[in-house]
Amino acid sequence: MKRYEVIVIGAGPAGLSAACAAAEAGLETVVFDENARPGGQLFKQIHKFFGSREHQARVRGVRIGENLLKRADELGVKTVLGATVLGVYEQKEVAVRTEGEVRSYRGDAIVIATGASENMLTFDGWTLPGVIGAGAAQTLMNMHGVRPGARVLMVGSGNVGLVVSFQLLQAGCEVPIVVDAAPRIGGYGVHASKLARAGVEFRTSHTVVKAIGAGRVEGAVIAEVDGSFAPIPGTEETIDVDTICIAVGLSPMSQLADNAGCEMEYDSAKGGYVPTLNDEGLSSVPGIYCAGDMAGIEEASSAMIQGSIAGAAIARDLGYLTPDEFGERAERWRRSLDGIRSGMFAPGMKGRTDITNTDEGYPLSASLLARGFLDGADDGIFPSMIYSGGMRPIIECTQNIPCDPCQDACPRGCIVVGEDITDLPRLDIGKKCTGCALCVGACSGQAIFLIDDSLGDGYGTVGLPYEFLPLPSPGDPGKALGRDGEVVCDASVVEVRDSKAMDKTPMLVMKVPVSALGRARFFRPAENKNYA
Amino acid sequence: MINNRIKEHPIIAGFDKGPEVKFTYDGREAAGFEGEPIAAALRALGVMTHRYTVGSGEPRGIFCAIGRCTDCVMVVDGVPNVRTCMTPLRAGMDVRTQAGLAAKTPTPFEGLDPETGAFLSAEAVSDEAI
Repeated sequence: MKRYEVIVIGAGPAGLSAACAAAEAGLETVVFDENARPGGQLFKQIHKFFGSREHQARVRGVRIGENLLKRADELGVKTVLGATVLGVYEQKEVAVRTEGEVRSYRGDAIVIATGASENMLTFDGWTLPGVIGAGAAQTLMNMHGVRPGARVLMVGSGNVGLVVSFQLLQAGCEVPIVVDAAPRIGGYGVHASKLARAGVEFRTSHTVVKAIGAGRVEGAVIAEVDGSFAPIPGTEETIDVDTICIAVGLSPMSQLADNAGCEMEYDSAKGGYVPTLNDEGLSSVPGIYCAGDMAGIEEASSAMIQGSIAGAAIARDLGYLTPDEFGERAERWRRSLDGIRSGMFAPGMKGRTDITNTDEGYPLSASLLARGFLDGADDGIFPSMIYSGGMRPIIECTQNIPCDPCQDACPRGCIVVGEDITDLPRLDIGKKCTGCALCVGACSGQAIFLIDDSLGDGYGTVGLPYEFLPLPSPGDPGKALGRDGEVVCDASVVEVRDSKAMDKTPMLVMKVPVSALGRARFFRPAENKNYA
Repeated sequence: MINNRIKEHPIIAGFDKGPEVKFTYDGREAAGFEGEPIAAALRALGVMTHRYTVGSGEPRGIFCAIGRCTDCVMVVDGVPNVRTCMTPLRAGMDVRTQAGLAAKTPTPFEGLDPETGAFLSAEAVSDEAI
């Protein structure tokens, strides 16, 4: 039986990071993955990640995946694709099926990093062709360049539902409505706001009750739900869609840990049954480590850190790192993990609906939580949204999420987040904004707007992030839309600024009356040439 | 006309595709790109039904697209239960809608141009694709 020092199961962000940390210390490491391509779900994540520089914030997931693969390759990690692990047995024996052949391997240590599976929702007609998982939508449009449908009802407003809805718009699909059975939008307010200003309607306390259609989805019925999530009769509404996309959470795929004899526990905050682990990712079975979503649903950034810690811990166990060398690395990673796990959306906060204020004491916007947009009731509350004249960034970031690229991006020091990356950004009005737009491109939540009231003749400009095609040209007429997606006024494009540093988030600058500067947040071209 | 291919994308510079190849879908000539999942090629043509269930004959199509749910299985080159979301398209493949374990042509036949009634050979699609 072929023996490896480290066998990693799963070539996603957690598994590859574990393999890199182990290989970097000199261990002979193999990664098995059942898919045809490595990277797990990273290559479907075309949006910019949150966090801090150390978490590769403002880098798109697909690029993070490329970097990780390159690193694994350089470190000599052996990745076997199309390899399904059937079981993990005594003495760390791993049975692997490749092309119909089953072989066993033995590892001195094993990392299980098998990721998660999507939760499903059953309703009348849920098996009709046209009802798909959010992951399927991402796979089709972001990997294979095929739109899953033309008009999509999104079910679920967690970050997956919000991010995939935006990606559907970018792929040229329509997303008329996002429903969520919970009374609050589950994901980041900034993700919801991107959709709301583009015209997507949020219906919280609503769910899908029926897929209509003969042989395929031709419509959907949604309804309001009561406090126990039961549809309220008489509130049904028929929506014209050809696709229903389900994004109602993920469950850890922890079966292999269970099969290996690891002690398991049910933890609803982690999304289901997970192995009991110490803070290095070690399970109850000596030599078997676990990392990533299979150990508790989080996101790719924390999965990568967990993987790194597990890989380095194995290197220490097997004598390739001294305890001090490991301790030094682990301390840095743990600090980083604590950072990304903080704020009001941290793993332990899942399902909490009792948070009413930010850490700074500002009241959360009820409109943002229920409808996805700031409705103006907050004007004057958040200091980063108070306009003081001239060229200024306005940062519509009103929740404590772990993210600070805006602070790094501004060459003038106008934007301050501070040490704690979940703090809300503040503006240093003593520093002069030059309108360079780097912050607009750097904000992963697309929540920064450059406002200038000095165009003359009662006009000013609003610079906004615009990740859509076709990119308007200077002089193009259109409408300025508000945060709710409604028309505010006529607008015309003054400039579209793009640069390598902005990484495909160009800033569109539109001319609007000064009176509209506080409300105009999106641009709709008069002639929508988009995918007609 | 159904064309689900994304021509231009604001973020993705290009999709990793092989050359255009011909295959047959329920006996009719169709086209897709070599190496893309069969399911992607079919969805691009507007095909929704991949199989019918054994008991009640209900239609099923793409659901998870990552090889978990098996709703998208079809008869490929005579072999039933092939996960079309995981199986790369190759030139000359014979792809058939599955009913139980056998092949069955769906009614109404999918992937038809509503204007002309002709099957979408994907040629109209491919010149605009990507």
